[in-house]
Amino acid sequence: MLRTALTIAKKDIYSELRTKQVLGTMIIFAGLVILVLSFAFDPANNTTKAVIPGAVWIIIVFSGILGLNRSLVSEQRNDTMHGLLVAPMDASSIYLGKFLANFSMILVVELVSIPFLFLLFDFKITGSILYFILVLFVGSFGFIAIGTFLAALASNSKSSEMLLPLLLFPMTSPVLIGVTQATKIILTNMEKLPTAIAWLQLVTAYDVIFFVLCFLLIEYVLEV
Amino acid sequence: MGFMYAAYSVVWVIIFGYMLLIGKRHNSLKKDIEFLKQLDR
Amino acid sequence: MSMNLEREKAQLPMVDLAPVRSSVITKLLYGGMVVSMLAAFYFIFMYAEIEKTMGAVQKIFYMHVPSAWVAFLAFFVTFVFSILFLVKRKRIFDTYAYVSAEIGVVFTAIVLTTGPIWAKSSWNTWWAWEPRLTTTLILFFLFMAYLMVRQMDGVWDKKARLAAVFGIIGFADVPIVFFAIRWWQSKFHPIVFGEGPSQQGGGIAPSMLVALLVTITAFTFLYAYILHKGVSFENMRIKVGHYKEKLRERLEN
Repeated sequence: MLRTALTIAKKDIYSELRTKQVLGTMIIFAGLVILVLSFAFDPANNTTKAVIPGAVWIIIVFSGILGLNRSLVSEQRNDTMHGLLVAPMDASSIYLGKFLANFSMILVVELVSIPFLFLLFDFKITGSILYFILVLFVGSFGFIAIGTFLAALASNSKSSEMLLPLLLFPMTSPVLIGVTQATKIILTNMEKLPTAIAWLQLVTAYDVIFFVLCFLLIEYVLEV
Repeated sequence: MGFMYAAYSVVWVIIFGYMLLIGKRHNSLKKDIEFLKQLDR
Repeated sequence: MSMNLEREKAQLPMVDLAPVRSSVITKLLYGGMVVSMLAAFYFIFMYAEIEKTMGAVQKIFYMHVPSAWVAFLAFFVTFVFSILFLVKRKRIFDTYAYVSAEIGVVFTAIVLTTGPIWAKSSWNTWWAWEPRLTTTLILFFLFMAYLMVRQMDGVWDKKARLAAVFGIIGFADVPIVFFAIRWWQSKFHPIVFGEGPSQQGGGIAPSMLVALLVTITAFTFLYAYILHKGVSFENMRIKVGHYKEKLRERLEN
């Protein structure tokens, strides 16, 4: 199952690398979000530093939604979904492959946009970068896992671009709460590290529960 | 005290509003049935 | 002409089913609802003592808590019927899940409007980002999203399947949301406002508890009545849809 999933992920990433359409859009969009944030919160002001940990997640969530929308809608548009379903593999490996492709794409976006954000807002990290990377990883994992699933669900609708945020935001609220709290602690005051670890545990628990649940339920979503 | 009246009236407005909505759907369905019956004749 | 008559005879039973038949269950539920509602009002306004610090405003409690209970019950019912639908694939389960979710949204709306009114009168603020309030808000959004999934275009069994999946995931999300928010809030505001019955615990007077239980019963009856009515209505609509389809086919030929 892992092999087929990897094949699908590879296929998605190859086709993405060929056009660079979605990845480029996501990165440019992330840059635009940073621009809008600089209008909303004066970068010269010192109090702005307090919103940067939250801004990290605003960027990830909004550019993530763009990529999620595309990943399954394009299969639906080109009618290749049937091809995938007919191929000798489980629905869960399609899910896993799509998840891997989306996850690696969001990681690339984070890699580019977050240093950019810190640079432009002149944000000095006083906490630990290693923990920050861990938080990013765990948070994006949960967001993309449930996001891929809901994108598959929403892609059946004609207006899936509008439907997906409505489904995704309330559903991922625990992840977003936990991850923003943890990011704030890790980036600004490391004394409260145990609290951040507790948040990370909560988000990890969420990740595990929903990853398993999505795995079990994807069969029903991708039925012909 | 005023708050209590406000709350109670809001509750009943919502419940009866919902009932009204159901009634409206009911009526439109009835109209549909009448129309279908006429068509069938 | 004779063909016409025959056709009418063949078709009529389907149409006849359309007007609501008041079965025994409907009457029973209706009676139970009316009686328990009246009893609830008696208990709220006559029997239960008036709270000392908050006064009569505290009586919002008797609408607020039962609505919250019904909202959660409705979503639990949606969850159960969603699972049943995915396992058994019978349309009636899907209908139950749909109607129940809709009622749940209505009662969540009640909770979300009475909550701030009560909050304004007792905490002097319309809204507090308190765990239960926030969870209810997210629940409301989740099931609005559920209803949006139902509005999708396509054949019914696809919509039903997707909605059932979303209903299951959404319900599984609620406890996690609650824990996350409670955790988040307790970091900043160590004092959690007591609002639900679990927090008032032993502090509630026995007469109030009785009134609360009676109101909860009344609201549960109300829920069951609306659910039953909604489901029979939905069934009727499905039947009319089938009938329409058949009629169209015939007209085309």
